[in-house]
Amino acid sequence: MAISSVASTVALIGNPNTGKSTLFGELVGSPQRVGNYPGVTVEKKIGRTIHDGHSYNVIDLPGLYSLSPHSRDEMVAVDLLLGRYDNTPAVDMVVCVLDACNLDRNLYLLSQILELGLPTIVALNKLDVAEGLGLRLDVEELARRVGVPVVCTQANRGRGTEQLKAVLGQSLGRQAAPPRGLFPKAFEEEVALLEEYFTEQKKTVSLTSRSPHWLVERLLLDTSGYLKDALFPKSENPGLDDLLAAARDRLAEAKCRVPKIETTSRYAWSHTVLEDVLHRPDRYRTTMSDRIDHVLTHRVWGTGIFAVLMLTVFQSVFNGARPIMAMVEYGSGAVGQFIESHMAEGAMRSLLVDGVVGGVGAVVGFLPQILILFMFIAILEDCGYMSRAAFLMDRLMSSVGLSGRSFIPMLSSFACAVPGIMATRVISNDRDRLTTILVAPLMTCSARLPIYTLLIAAFIPAVGEHSFLGGWLNLQGLTLAGLYLLGIITAVMAALVFKKTILRGEPSPFLLELPDYKWPSPSTVLYRVLERCWEFVCCAGTIVLLVSILIWAAAYYPHDRETVEGPYLPRMQAIENELAQPSLDQSQLERLEQEQAALERKIQAAYQHQSILGRLGRMIEPVVEPLGWDWRIGCAVIASFSAREVVVATLGVIYNLGGDLDPGSDKGRSQLTEKLRQAKWDGTQQPVFNIPVALSIMVFYALCAQCVATLAVIKAETGSWRWPVFSFCYMTTLAYIGAFVTYHIGMMIGG
Amino acid sequence: MVDFVPLNQLVSGQPAEISDVKGEPGHVHRLHEFGLRCGTRIQMFRPGNPCIIRMAGSKVCVRMNNSLQVLVKPISVGN
Repeated sequence: MAISSVASTVALIGNPNTGKSTLFGELVGSPQRVGNYPGVTVEKKIGRTIHDGHSYNVIDLPGLYSLSPHSRDEMVAVDLLLGRYDNTPAVDMVVCVLDACNLDRNLYLLSQILELGLPTIVALNKLDVAEGLGLRLDVEELARRVGVPVVCTQANRGRGTEQLKAVLGQSLGRQAAPPRGLFPKAFEEEVALLEEYFTEQKKTVSLTSRSPHWLVERLLLDTSGYLKDALFPKSENPGLDDLLAAARDRLAEAKCRVPKIETTSRYAWSHTVLEDVLHRPDRYRTTMSDRIDHVLTHRVWGTGIFAVLMLTVFQSVFNGARPIMAMVEYGSGAVGQFIESHMAEGAMRSLLVDGVVGGVGAVVGFLPQILILFMFIAILEDCGYMSRAAFLMDRLMSSVGLSGRSFIPMLSSFACAVPGIMATRVISNDRDRLTTILVAPLMTCSARLPIYTLLIAAFIPAVGEHSFLGGWLNLQGLTLAGLYLLGIITAVMAALVFKKTILRGEPSPFLLELPDYKWPSPSTVLYRVLERCWEFVCCAGTIVLLVSILIWAAAYYPHDRETVEGPYLPRMQAIENELAQPSLDQSQLERLEQEQAALERKIQAAYQHQSILGRLGRMIEPVVEPLGWDWRIGCAVIASFSAREVVVATLGVIYNLGGDLDPGSDKGRSQLTEKLRQAKWDGTQQPVFNIPVALSIMVFYALCAQCVATLAVIKAETGSWRWPVFSFCYMTTLAYIGAFVTYHIGMMIGG
Repeated sequence: MVDFVPLNQLVSGQPAEISDVKGEPGHVHRLHEFGLRCGTRIQMFRPGNPCIIRMAGSKVCVRMNNSLQVLVKPISVGN
């Protein structure tokens, strides 16, 4: 059969938890294009289906309760229905998915859609569940009253999709009739007046193409003014604001107060439609979900189960990821070595090995953790548990001005802030979401552990009189716990401050539907996990790569061979000559090779000293000196801007240990520990490191924003550079103050 | 006779009818759109703040605060 080349665009729209996404999956299989709408992180999913020789592009819109644009999701839906996205075709047809269990509210949205006048089909989903609850529904009569075709579907079993496709073909080009007499006369008169104004002003160009009546009605109803500002900017329409205000005043006098008139009128319509069509039982039957919820939302049992569940997730993230992370590390090391053995020494090789492979490899090394974490989140989300977790944690989170939805992002940030920040998309309130994004990086992520373990092992006494609880807890463990606690307390304080200052606003109502429990669908889980991981890889592939190269260049250039290697050359030459002599015995050979290695390390350190990074480090020495740091620690801090864990390797290079030191191995770590203990201030015999200095470095890393991946993801999620810059500034300031206070208090007590 | 009580005073399992939603107009509108409006019949599932209520065929978690109050009229069981 010939397939028509012209595809029709179908928008799939409905309340959250109606089974809309499942229906989308049944209609189109897997989506062909997934991305974000420009400027907002609202997922855009488009798939294609062919029926009877005609092809349809199906767009899955985010779940929403209303078309009055308040949240990001609603704005996207309205913009899409009005054809305001250049790269997305105009919508030819709407499929409105209704949940049979909750028709009153679902019809509210349907009445808004019908008014658009586009060809509309109703997919009545979950009828089986509704009947299980004891509801009875006359579907034929319902279809007659709403005036558009109604198709019963059972998306989770794939039932009804074929009929739906057939009806798509029949409904093409058949405009839906708006519900008659929806609004009172006084309101319709005001709409007519406004329409006249637009005709007179010849502002109809953007209106005529698509639902002008609907648009005017929305302008009058939406006090938020999103559409008005987007379509009719104040500068071009000076009188519009006053006109709308006057119309609303007149409506208030006529007992049609905006916005209440909208809910009153639409629910009245919904009521009329459902009268004698829907029979509700006196008491809803207790379902399996209710029985599960009796336990899982219980204050004691529920919270206990939640805690155990989260512990399990964390254990799996850390233990499960370890072997894969080791593989990634081994892999990037092997790639680096392969390049080293196949390229001549020089800037290009160093760039590839140290800059590209090393920098991006360090970040991609966190991919396994992110993958496992997202797998758990996707499973918990898909089976319906996530909203219960939000309910349980809401009491705790509301005490810092956030809602229960912020809990999972914060918790995820203990593994890595990147998935944590990506998980904030479920937070519908923009201020809450931004606050969560800003404080999530303060949680102690796993990239902070290498520097913590190194410095704690080197400088915090482990044994002796410093143990508590019969040796179970020692000072080292307490220090680590203290650093975790520092992150949490600072995050709580910061959240409180943000909610009282820059992100101040009325606390918005916390409303959350608890969907019925179901078995998670493997394809949905797999799809979500892969998608998030891909986003992370893309992020690491662009910004992280760029910054890694910049930092590599700062550490490499100017690479002046003569001045750096000059002083060491005669001795190097002499060693090589001696090594070439055949009469050497074993001990002489070893001694010479050791000296050669020591010289090479000195050369490497000298390169570091005269590199841009080294100069920067010395330049900022006056700034970091109050923290008890020498210029080398300053260097390490600058170099670890791309990722915190880099600091350990940089300290290794800077304190003359060679870059190939493996801080992961016990031997490498103890060597580094030894070197750090011996480090002296330039030109003196005063040791650089003592307990207050080690503590001040750790406090700095607990609070700083040294992670390009996090900053990049903040940029991606907020859509502007303002917030990553703000994050970096406020966290660095906090880190500096924290380190300063720690050092000085430490010195006062006993440095 | 006490007709209206705040939503969070209902005990577990108690049915009620919403009689008023008070607060900032924008938030009230949000609740109305969500279906929590005058005349809606609900049943308390898990009291407290936030609480879980049953509304039509679904369960909903709601948190009240100083700027938002839902008043309900309890329906005595057996009516």
